[in-house]
Amino acid sequence: MLKHTSYLSLVLALALVLAACAPATAPTTAPTTAPTTVAVSTVPVAPTAPPPTEPPTVVRKVATFIWTQEFDTLNLYYSNKWFSQIVEQVFNAWAWEFDENNEPFPVLVTEIPSVENGGISADGTVITMHLRDDITWSDGTPITADDFIFTYEMVISPKNAVATAYPYDQIASVEAPDPQTVVVTFAEPFAPWLATLWHSIMPKHVLQPVFDAEGTIDNAEWNRKPTVGAGPYVFQEWESGSFARFVARDDYWGGRAKIDEIFIKFVPDDASQTAAMKAGDGDLGTFPPLSDVPGLKDVGVKIVIAPSGFNEGWFFNFHPEKGHPATKDLKVRQAIAYALDREGLNEKLLLGLTQPPKGYWDAFPAFNDPSVGVYPHDVAMANQLLDDAGWKDTNGDGTRDKDGVELVLRYYTSTREIRQDTQAVAQQQLAEVGIQLDLQAVDSDILFASYAEGGPVSVGDYEIAEWSDAPSFPDPDTSYWLCDQIPTDDSPDGLNTYYLCDEELDALFQLQITQVNIAERQETFKKITKYMYDNVIWLGLWQDPDYWLVGPRLTNTSFSGVTPLFSVDQWDLNP
Amino acid sequence: MTQYIIRRLLQAIPLLFIISLVLFILMDNVGDPLATMGGRRLTRKEDRERLTRQLGLDQPILTQYLYWLIGNDWAKIDLDGDGVAETPGTRRGVLRGDFGTSLRTKGKPALEAISERIPNTLILMLAAEGLIVAGALVVGIYSALHQYSWLDHAITAISFVFYSMPIFFIALVAIYLFAVNFKTWGLPSLPANGMFDPQVGKTPGQVVLHMILPVFSISMISFAAYSRYIRSTMLEVMNQDYIRTARSKGLARRYILLVHALKNASLPIVTVVGLDLPLLLGGALVTERIFAWPGMGMLFLESLKDVDTPVVMGILMLISVAVVVFQIITDVVYAWLDPRIRYH
Repeated sequence: MLKHTSYLSLVLALALVLAACAPATAPTTAPTTAPTTVAVSTVPVAPTAPPPTEPPTVVRKVATFIWTQEFDTLNLYYSNKWFSQIVEQVFNAWAWEFDENNEPFPVLVTEIPSVENGGISADGTVITMHLRDDITWSDGTPITADDFIFTYEMVISPKNAVATAYPYDQIASVEAPDPQTVVVTFAEPFAPWLATLWHSIMPKHVLQPVFDAEGTIDNAEWNRKPTVGAGPYVFQEWESGSFARFVARDDYWGGRAKIDEIFIKFVPDDASQTAAMKAGDGDLGTFPPLSDVPGLKDVGVKIVIAPSGFNEGWFFNFHPEKGHPATKDLKVRQAIAYALDREGLNEKLLLGLTQPPKGYWDAFPAFNDPSVGVYPHDVAMANQLLDDAGWKDTNGDGTRDKDGVELVLRYYTSTREIRQDTQAVAQQQLAEVGIQLDLQAVDSDILFASYAEGGPVSVGDYEIAEWSDAPSFPDPDTSYWLCDQIPTDDSPDGLNTYYLCDEELDALFQLQITQVNIAERQETFKKITKYMYDNVIWLGLWQDPDYWLVGPRLTNTSFSGVTPLFSVDQWDLNP
Repeated sequence: MTQYIIRRLLQAIPLLFIISLVLFILMDNVGDPLATMGGRRLTRKEDRERLTRQLGLDQPILTQYLYWLIGNDWAKIDLDGDGVAETPGTRRGVLRGDFGTSLRTKGKPALEAISERIPNTLILMLAAEGLIVAGALVVGIYSALHQYSWLDHAITAISFVFYSMPIFFIALVAIYLFAVNFKTWGLPSLPANGMFDPQVGKTPGQVVLHMILPVFSISMISFAAYSRYIRSTMLEVMNQDYIRTARSKGLARRYILLVHALKNASLPIVTVVGLDLPLLLGGALVTERIFAWPGMGMLFLESLKDVDTPVVMGILMLISVAVVVFQIITDVVYAWLDPRIRYH
C-alpha cells in the first residue's frame, strides 16, 4: 500500500510538472526604469542639480472579460455564435460599425455610402465604398480593396464551409477600380446591405496562400489564431476551454487603446460568473441570471442594457393539416393574447427589468405602426372571444372543446430555466380561460432540429413554440414568414416553420427588401407590423436585449446592440 | 500471464468496433448539429443545404460511419451541389489516426481538441483521486481500528452528510464561502474559477491554488464512499483467524496492519479504483463547468450540446480504450496482490 501511495504521489507530481510546462505569462507589472537612489549626505557640498525623481511605476492594465460560452472560431465567417462575433471589434473590424444608439459610423471606410454622397446608385443595386488610406493590418500591411474582394470570394466559394454566405450570395460582383475603392453590385436592390455587409475582413496576404495550397481555408490556422487583424488589439493566444488574450496594438491607426491587455476567461456556469464578478475576478460579464442582479449591484457592478433587436415570443403554427385547428382561428389567438398577463410576467419573473414588446419589430420604432401595442390582460375578453369562436367546455372537464376536439395546445420551448418558469405561468393563466397547455421543454438542438431530422418545430408538430429571435438587426428584414420558405419534402430547409402562407403579408415582405428608400420601406413595415399585430401572428413576451455586467474598475464603457465592443479602445481601467 | 494479456487485447478489438458503431448510431440520434449553427437565429435554408453537403451529413449513416472509420480520401464527394461527385475526400479515418475535424470549433482536428484538455483533466482528477484514496485509507483504517469510538461516529456522520450532497451544491457553497465571502470579510480567499490569475500568469503555484476548491469538491463526495468501503473491508479482515495468529506470534501491530491486513483488504479497493481510473479521463462534468476548469468533462458537455460527433466519438473511444486497458491492468494487479489468483 505504501508503494501504491508513493506511486500515486509520483504520478501527481508528474501531472503537476506537465501543467507547469507551459511558460508562465510575463508578470503584468512592467519593471521600472533605471533604479533610482537618493544620496543623503551630512557634509555640505556645492549645490548640484536636483536628484532625479523616481519615475512612476507603470502598472499594466489588464481587463478580464468573462464569457459564458467559448468561441468556436475567430474567423467570423465560420461562426454565428454571439460570443465569437462580439470579439471581432477587439482584434479586427467591420467596414462600418454601430454605436450605442445603433447608428452606423465609418471604420474602414471614409463615409457610409448613401445616395447623397454617390455611394449608392439610383437603382439601389450598386454600393461604392471608399476606404481610408491609413488603415493597416497589425503586421503593417495596408488594408486595401483586395482584402474585401478576397473576403467575398472566400465566403461564396463552395470549398469553404462558412456558417453563412448571406448576404454575399445576393451579390453579382465585387470590384476594385483602385486600391481604396470597392464597388459592390447586387443582382437586385438589396435594402439590408448596411446591416449585413462586411462583418469582418480577411487578410488576403495571410489566407490566399493557404487557399492556394489546401484548396480551402476551413483549416487555416488564422481561423483560430488571427495574429493579423485590423482592430485595436492583437491576438496573443487562445487556450481551449480556458482563456484568450489580446494585447493592445501600439501602431493602431485609430489610436492606441487605453487598456493594455484584454483577457477573456471562459466560465460556462452562470452562478460561477456571478461569483467571479462579485469577487472582483472579472471586469465584464454578460447575461446574468436576473435574480442575481440585485446582489451584483450591491457590490458595485453596473448592469448595462443594450437593445439588440431580440424579443422573446410565441410563434404559432398555421400548418393546414398539422397542428390544432384552434391556433388557426384568429379569435383563439386573440383570446390567448388577452389571457396571458405579460406585464405581470415581466414584473414577477423578470423583476421588472424588461417589458412586453410592441410586436416583432419593437426595437425599430420608426418601422412600427403607431397603433401596434401590447394586448392588455383581460380574462373576460379572452373568455368572450373563445365563446364567440365556438370553443366551450361542453363536457365539464375544465377544458374547452369544439366538435369533439379538446382545446389542448402543445407548447414547445427550450430547457432554459426562465422559459420553463414561463411555461408554468402560462399554463396556469390559460387554464383559467379553459385552454390546456401541454408543456414540452427540450434541448435547443432538438427544438431547432431540421425537417429531415423530424424536429418538432420544423415539421409542424406543435401549436406554440417559444424562443427569442430578431430580424437582421439593425435591419428589419426577415424571411421567416415568406411562402417560399415553408419546409417541404423537396425543400426541407425553409425557415417558415410556422407554415404561414399569407399572400398579402408575403407580398409586403418581398417588397420591403427591395426598397432602398428608407421612408418607403418604413411605410411598408408599418403595414407589416399592423397586419401581424391585428392577426396575432407572433405574440411577444418580453424584450430580450443584451445585458452587460460592468465591474467597478472598468470605465468609459458603452455598448451597441450590433457591435457591442465598438468602443473597446476607449475603455479604461481604474487601478 | 503474458498469453492472458495478449488474449484480452485481441478480444478487445472486435469489442471496440461494436462500441464505436453503437456510439456512432446513438450520436446520429442525439440531435442536429446544424440546428445551433445559426447562432441566435435559425440556420438559413441555403446555408443548411450547403453545410449538410460540405460536412458530409447528407450521406447515409453507415456511409458516414465508414468515412469516420477508414476515411474518404479514396472516394469523391459533391462539394458544390451540382450533383457530380468530383472533389476527392480529405479524411483518412480513425484507423489511420484521423478522428476528423470538430464541427463545433470549425476545422480544428478532433484529436487536437481532445489532447489539449487531457493534461488539465489528469491534473485535476489524479489529484482528487490521490486525495480520495490516501485520505480514505487513513480514515478508513482508523475507523476500523477504533470502531464505535466517538471519532469513528463523527467521521461516519460527516461522511454521510457529504455523500448525500450533490456536487454542484458543494461546489457553489465552496465558491461563495472561500472565494466571495472570505474576500468580503478581508480574509485570505481562494480563486473562484479558472486555472490561474491572468495578472500573475500560469505558474505551478497558481494552478495548485486554483485546484484547491475543485479538488475539494470532487473529493468530499467520493472520499465518504471510499472511507466507508475501506473501513468495512478492514473490519472483515481484522477479524480473520490469520490476523489473530499473527498477533499471537507477537508480530508488531504496524506490521500486521500494513502487511497482512491491508494487503488482503485492498483487493476490493483495487477493483473500485481500477473501475474509476479510466473514467478519470472523462473528467468531472459538473465540477469543471462550475469552476471553469478546461478539462475533458467540459469539452464533452459542450461538444454533446452542439452534436459535435467527431469530438464526442473521440472522447468516447478514448474512454472505451482506457476502460479495456485498465481492466486488464486491474486483473494483473489482482494476481500480484493475491498469489492464489492465476490466469491461463
